[in-house]
Formats: sequence, C-alpha cells, structure tokens
Amino acid sequence: MGRLIFHRAAMSIPLLLIVSLIIFGLEAIVPGDAASTILGQNATPQSVAALRGQLGLNDPWVVRFGHWLGGALHGDLGTSIISGVDVTSSLNGRLAVTLSLLVPTILLSAVAGVALGFASAVRGGALGRFIDVVSLFGFALPSFWVALILVGFFAVHLNLLPATGYQDLAASPAGWLKSIILPVLALSLQGITYVAKQTRDTVMEVLETDYVKFLRANGVPERSVRYRHVLRNAAIPVVTSLGLVSVGMLSGAVFIENVFVLPGLGSLATQATLDHDIPVILGVGVFFTLCVIAINLLIDFAYGLLNPKVRVS
Amino acid sequence: MFRFIPASGRRPGVTRPHLAIAAAVCALALAGCSGGGTGSQTSSQLSVQFPGPPISLDPAKAGNGGSAMFVSLAYDPLIFLSGSGDLAPDLATKWGFTDHANEVFELTLRSGVTFSDGSGLDATAAAASMNYFLHAGGGLVGNVGPVAKIEAVSPATVRITYKAPTPEAALTLTQYNGMGNLIGPKGLANPQSLLTSSDGTGQFIYDGAGSVADNRYVYKKNPHYFQPSAQHFDSAVVRVINNPNAVLSAAQTGQVQFASGSANTAAAAKQAGLKVETAPFFNWSLNLVDRQGAVSPALADVRVRQAIALAFDRPAIAKAMAGSYASGSDQVLLPGTDGYDSNIGYGYDVAKAKSLLAQAGFPNGFKLTILTESLLDVNNTYSQAIVDALGNIGIDATLHVQTTGIAQFVGDALSKKYAAIIFPTAGTTMSQLDSQITHGLFNPFGSADGQLDSIMQQAATADSAQARTAQYQQASRRLQELAWTVPIFATQSVYYTAAGLQNFQASVLNPNPMPVGPTADLSWRLK
Repeated sequence: MGRLIFHRAAMSIPLLLIVSLIIFGLEAIVPGDAASTILGQNATPQSVAALRGQLGLNDPWVVRFGHWLGGALHGDLGTSIISGVDVTSSLNGRLAVTLSLLVPTILLSAVAGVALGFASAVRGGALGRFIDVVSLFGFALPSFWVALILVGFFAVHLNLLPATGYQDLAASPAGWLKSIILPVLALSLQGITYVAKQTRDTVMEVLETDYVKFLRANGVPERSVRYRHVLRNAAIPVVTSLGLVSVGMLSGAVFIENVFVLPGLGSLATQATLDHDIPVILGVGVFFTLCVIAINLLIDFAYGLLNPKVRVS
Repeated sequence: MFRFIPASGRRPGVTRPHLAIAAAVCALALAGCSGGGTGSQTSSQLSVQFPGPPISLDPAKAGNGGSAMFVSLAYDPLIFLSGSGDLAPDLATKWGFTDHANEVFELTLRSGVTFSDGSGLDATAAAASMNYFLHAGGGLVGNVGPVAKIEAVSPATVRITYKAPTPEAALTLTQYNGMGNLIGPKGLANPQSLLTSSDGTGQFIYDGAGSVADNRYVYKKNPHYFQPSAQHFDSAVVRVINNPNAVLSAAQTGQVQFASGSANTAAAAKQAGLKVETAPFFNWSLNLVDRQGAVSPALADVRVRQAIALAFDRPAIAKAMAGSYASGSDQVLLPGTDGYDSNIGYGYDVAKAKSLLAQAGFPNGFKLTILTESLLDVNNTYSQAIVDALGNIGIDATLHVQTTGIAQFVGDALSKKYAAIIFPTAGTTMSQLDSQITHGLFNPFGSADGQLDSIMQQAATADSAQARTAQYQQASRRLQELAWTVPIFATQSVYYTAAGLQNFQASVLNPNPMPVGPTADLSWRLK
C-alpha cells in the first residue's frame, strides 16, 4: 500500500508539471490579456501597455512560467491578477462549495446507480427494460438542461428549494442542504444512469458464469450468491465506471456551478479564464489534477480490496 | 437445487412504505425550512443581480454603465445622475463654469459629510481623490475630459481646469465616470485596501469578509451617511449571475429584487408577475472604419458608404431581432437625447443604394470582411442580419467573429485588418458619441473631418442650451453625410424588478439606474 502511494505521488509530479505547462502555454496563445480585461474597452493602447509592463506580461512566457513554478514549488501559487487575492486563499474559500457538490454527487451516483443496476439485473423484466431506457436518456441529457428543469419545477413552481446560491454548512445546515439538493440531483443523473447501466450489464454477465451456477447447484443461499459472490465479482468494472464518472463530474461541476451560481472552483475557473487571470487558472488546474490523481488512487485501493490478485501485483 | 428468492423476500428494512415515509419526511423538512428559497436574505436587505463581477472595487479603476453599481453602493458621486437623466446635488451642492470658454469648473462641497474612515469631506480630500483617479490607470480616465488641473481653492470649493472646452463637465462627475466618486484619505493612502473594504461616503460600506469574489458582494449600512432618510435598507447584496435562465429564476423566486433581463425571457418574467422596465441603450451600428480604403478600397468613396446606409429595412430588422424591445435607428442619437432630429435619417432604398454603388464604380458590389463579436451579439444573429441586408445590394460580406472576449475584439478592431466592424454605440450626448466615433475601435485608421470637428468645437463653447442643441443636430447631419457609422437598430436594456420595488426609473438619458441616491425619493425602496 505504501509503495503504491509513493509510486502514485512520484508519478503525479511530472503530471502536474505537464498539465500546468499545457495550461500556461494555451493561455499564452489565446488572444488578449489581463491588462486589457482590467482596463476595459475604453482604455488607450498606452495605458494597456503600461499595465502590461506593471503586471510583467511583457516577459517571455517561459520566464513567467518559471516565476510561477518557482513559487508553486514553495507552496506559493501567487495572487490573482484581477482581484489581488492570494490564489491559495481563493481555492480554500471555494473548496468547500465544490466538495459539497461533488462528494454527495459521487456517493449518490454510487449508491443509487449500483442499487438500480443490481436490482434490474437480478429481477429483469420491466424494471430491467426501464433501467435500460432511463440510462440511455439519463446519459444523453446534458446536466445543465436537467438543472433548468429541476429549477423550474422545484424552485419556481413549488418554491420549495432555492433557484440559485449557496449556504455555508456551518452557518445553516438546513440552508446548506437546501442549496445543494438541486445541483447534486442535476449533476448525479448522468452518474447514476451510467453506473446503473454498467452494474446491470456486469451483474448479468456474472450471473451467467459457471461458478454462479455451481454455487446455486450446491445449495448456497441465493442472497449469499448475489451479495457475496456476484456483486463482488461485478464490482471492478463498476468501480472503474464510477471513477470515470467522478472525473467527468469535475468538468460537469463547472457548468452546474454556473447554472446554480455556486461560488465553487468551477465558477472560479470560468471567470479566471474569461479574465486571463493565469495564476488562478493554474491554481484551479493544479487542484483538479490533484483530484484526478486522488480519484485514480482510490480506484486502485478499491481494486486491491476487491481482487486479491491486484493486491499481489 | 436452485433456490430463487421471491419478490416478497427483499430485505425487510427497505420496503416501499418505508421509502415513501422517508421521502415525505424529507419533503416536509424541506418545506418547513423553506422561506421562498431566498436563503439568508432579510426583509431589509436589497438584493440585486449583475451579469459579471466588478472590473475593480477601487472606484478609480472600476467600470461604468451598470457595473458602476458595485462602487455606487459605497461611494457617493459629486453629482448624482437620476434615472430620468437629471443632475442632482450629491457631495457637491452647487457647480458650474466660472468662465465663458467652459474650461474652468467649480464645485461647492456639502458640509457635514464623513468618509467611512472617519475623516471629514473637504476640498483637499476631494481634490486628492480626483487626482488619484487621473493617475491610477483606470479605464475611465478617457471619459472625464481633458483635465489640466484639479485643486482646492477653499475648504469647500474644488476647481477643475480643462485644457479645452468641456461643456458636459457636470456629467463626467456623476457616478458613472469614476472621477466624481470620492475616496477617503485612508483609502488613498492604501489603494490595495479598497479591494477588500471601502472608504467612501455612500449609503453602504463594502463588507469584503462577507463577500465571495465573483459571486456575491455584500454591503452593510453606513451609520454615518449624511442623509439617513435615503437609506431604505440595512444591507445590500450584488449577486453575480450571468446565465439568463438563472437570472430569471432568481428574480421569479424573489432571490433578487432587481435583475438585468433580456428580450428572450421578458415575456416569462411578465407572466411571473415581475415588472419589466426598459430603456433604449445600444445603438447597433455597422462602423465603416476604413474611410481611406486601406483594406477595402471601395469604402473610401462616400457614395459607397451612403449606399450601404440605405440597404437596411431598419424597422423589419429590429422587429426580427428583438420584437418590441428594439426599434429601427437612423442616426447616432437616440430619440429623447439632446440633438436628436426626427427629420434626418437614411431611410431604406435598395434601388438608390445600387445606383450609388454603380456611380462609384462598383455596379456588381464587392467583397467585405466585417469584424464582430459574440459576447454582446450572442449567436451573431444581429451581425448575420446586417450581412444579409448587404447582400441585397450586391455586397458579398463575410463575418469574422471574435469569440474570446471584448478586450480581444478591441485588439482586433485596432489592428487595422478590418474595414468594417459591427458594434453598438452607447451614449446620451452628442459629445460622448462624437468621442466614441472618432476614437478607439470606431476609428482605428484615425479618420478626421474638419467640418465635424468645427461643429463640435462650436457646440463646446456654445453659450446657451438651445445653441448647443442646434450644433448637435448639425453634427448629427454631418455624421449622416459621412456615413462613417451606420446605425441600424437600437435595443433596449431590459430590467426585471420585484413588484414592490419603488423609485426605480430608467430612461434614454440614464439607462443604467443606481439603487442609491442622495434623497429618499432617488433611492430604491421595497414597499
């Protein structure tokens, strides 16, 4: 286990470097800069040039990246060009919002997806066909469209939940719950349906294997067959799909945070990109990369728990 | 032996009745803590929406238009521009030119006013703030006229000396142009502090700790405000919401009492019981900037530019683009502004347009690449309509769409690669519009017209309002002859306000009203 963590940590260093280099390079080739954004459309070319000089934007991009990298290696992600706020503070301030969105979404996708997929596989019939159809639609529907429908019904029509905004958990647990229900539902629909479909297909495949027939033939109780043997053997592809879904949710959060006006990392990334605020863009990019690494690590752990052969290798 | 668990053999703990009860309890709990979905908002809080974050919270570097809201809540201007377009005393109680050339302007300051840092307002503090504005490097410095000197000439009098006649000096000192929004001495000593707190004399004090950058900006009531009767709220929040559907949902559910709407969602807003307020704002124009023909030789001929101006069925295009929220526009000034003349305008005459093109040597038209953008003209429907109309007179126009941002669009416009640019003008006076049309992205090739300059010079030194109006009308005619900027249709700014919101007014003379004013009647309130 220790070796695995060390190996993953070692692998993450070049990955972070490459990702930040790509982000910096892409930002450098996009037209416009933060000086033009700050001064607006009425600015004279002279004032834009002066501000560019003040912000260090006239330096070659390799030099600017070197400055950022030097700071980042010492734990300093720099300050926002636009707001002057420390990037690490900005990320910390918004982390709770994004985690409030992502953690319940991933849990809901896992629990509901596995439960639905498993139930439809073992019971088949109408439920199975229903899951198949709903999975198709659920995966095809864009999360922002689902969000608009949910807002229209639960917030505007029923006036039961807030249409936009976020409440801090510590300030108001009930308000927090209300503020995340619709975003979580909107973001988890794809996850639930994808995991349900994967679970259904895999469980049906395992149910047809010889060893399951052998277990049943030997009088092993059906509950034990399903929950001890079938579910466990079907778990690895399901965990893989859950990992993929979780990574996809990082990008989905960007859209959902904008629709529900949640002050999370996704909306921070959107605004920073519009503003050419490169320290913030890099900060969010590094954070999301760390999330992907962490998700992959968790999947590896799960593989190990589920399959002893993986643990040995 | 195979043994199948029957349907009734599910785990007893997760039966349908249990799930139904759990769902009902959750629904009741949510309904119980539901307050209309407004979160922590109190009855004495004003919550307003704005589509984007502030350019800066430092008044010297802030934005204008509706974006002035972020500053106006905490900083009073010297002169207040009301929603109807009238100038009202604010931190200055009197103002005017002391010479006949409209170059020396004096303001008498209100007494008994304090900044939130505790220091009193006097001419020295006011002059220091205005001089800071001039040198802070903000984007609005070009809007305040050719200032030569700002000085305190007595404890209560500030004098501004201009390098050239500036008849609209008073307008430049309102809440929309930065210089008139006064900053206290402590804020000036540490401008960085203005990003996390405020140091003005306004109705509210910015609460940086309670705000979330790019999402919600919170303001607390200023206990030392000079006119307590104008303070109708204990706090104010500006929420940044840019998705039009989210804006509508927030307004419909009472999360905001004021929101910027759009023609697309206005009908739904009306149906939901919101008040829909409008004011003409953008004058969408095809700017024929290559007047020397450097990129497109045809545009050097004034007959070609005039032909282009005749190619648009303006009322039809306006209706198609935004229904009742737009109208055809034939001149750079909008109806209701000083100098607007209903007797002038291009009209719609395809035959005459083709004839002019033939006279200029382009009977079969020509190719033209037009620069446009997709942030204001979302989906480029406006631009496409303009291109289609040009096709009717034989001009083969193609669009180059800048999608990255306005700043990048401006960069492209100034690059001198494009002969024509689609972008709206926006201004309430001929002086502002002339300044726009003859500078920046509207004039990247640096065209000049002696006749127009002469008319505007005479307007600047006119000794009466009537004389100035006549000069402005003359300028409008001259611009029509030149056909540098071809107005096509004017869209309205659309706002949604809560049914109980009072004192809100938007007009052609001020399409971006502010929630706070120096008197009870000029400040928004909730009934």
